[in-house]
Amino acid sequence: MTNKQEPTLALFYCQNVPDSGVGERQLLEEKYGPRLRLFPIPCSGRLEPLHLLRALEELADAAYVITCPGDQCRYFEGNARAKKRVERTKQILSDIGLETDRVGIIMGTKEAAKGLPTLAAEILDTTTQLGISPVFAKKT
Amino acid sequence: MITAEQKPIREIRDMIAPYKRILVLGCGSCVAECAAGGEKETAMLASALRMAAKMDQEDFDIHEMTLDRQCVNDFILQLDDVIDQYDAVLSLGCGAGVQAVADMYQEIPVIPALNTEFLGQTKDQGYWVENCLGCGDCMLYHFGGICPLARCSKQILNGPCGGSMDGRCEINPEIDCAWQMIIDRLSKFQALERLEKIYPPKDWSKKQGSGPRKIIREDQRK
Repeated sequence: MTNKQEPTLALFYCQNVPDSGVGERQLLEEKYGPRLRLFPIPCSGRLEPLHLLRALEELADAAYVITCPGDQCRYFEGNARAKKRVERTKQILSDIGLETDRVGIIMGTKEAAKGLPTLAAEILDTTTQLGISPVFAKKT
Repeated sequence: MITAEQKPIREIRDMIAPYKRILVLGCGSCVAECAAGGEKETAMLASALRMAAKMDQEDFDIHEMTLDRQCVNDFILQLDDVIDQYDAVLSLGCGAGVQAVADMYQEIPVIPALNTEFLGQTKDQGYWVENCLGCGDCMLYHFGGICPLARCSKQILNGPCGGSMDGRCEINPEIDCAWQMIIDRLSKFQALERLEKIYPPKDWSKKQGSGPRKIIREDQRK
């Protein structure tokens, strides 16, 4: 068990998301510190439920994935696969009694594409509202 | 291959509740192919169980491991070095795998995490269908490679029943009429005469009538 003070977000993101280069990543890490753990992946289709589960088990109070917009996947269906895997993960969380909002997927639109810094800030707000995960609750 | 599905996590948690040190044991063969008990699914279940235990402030020590085959002793022996560290094994093998591990380690409970389903074919990604009952007396030659026992809802050997509509089964319209498929396929290689024979009722004694079946091959034995 840990003595967490602030909720942590594990954020997986497709490297095709706007403003998600190394420079932006370093700025985000400096800005948010340990509250934000960033995991760039070549395509959101690489994401497995196990990645989200392990993040929630080991370090994160929420685990989200940002994909490229619906029809913009370089590998055609990576973001569609990611969506199904997030749904599968939500089912597992529901089965063990953990709030399903602790995992999620953000799939932007081509017309209103948001960059990584904007989306990270929005998801961090959601994470803060969710609070510390019961997985990391202190023993009484 | 043998297909299986994971039991509900609640049922699994109830079964492992009396034990503290648990080895979650996957199998890299059939149940990996059907995405129920391979290395990935084993790690997912172990992770979910650890989280559930932490949330309920239960004191569990849960580790995972996956054997290439859980139904073959040579692979099960890999557990020799670690089995003493656990109070129970939670197996993601098929029923044969669970029993093979239990047979090897008599003193430790081996708990099934899966419901073993059927002998199946991978029809498509994430889609498995039953097409063999393992009857012990294969008749696929006579029926053009389509088993009416496994694939016809009425299991009739002298079909068709006459109830199908547009090639779909009248009992379950979601499935193709096996007898329509048999006739279509035999027609393709001019072998419809095979259906002129009247097939007698199936001799089920070759399946389960004499208790558990076994195969002994002296040329393969030590």
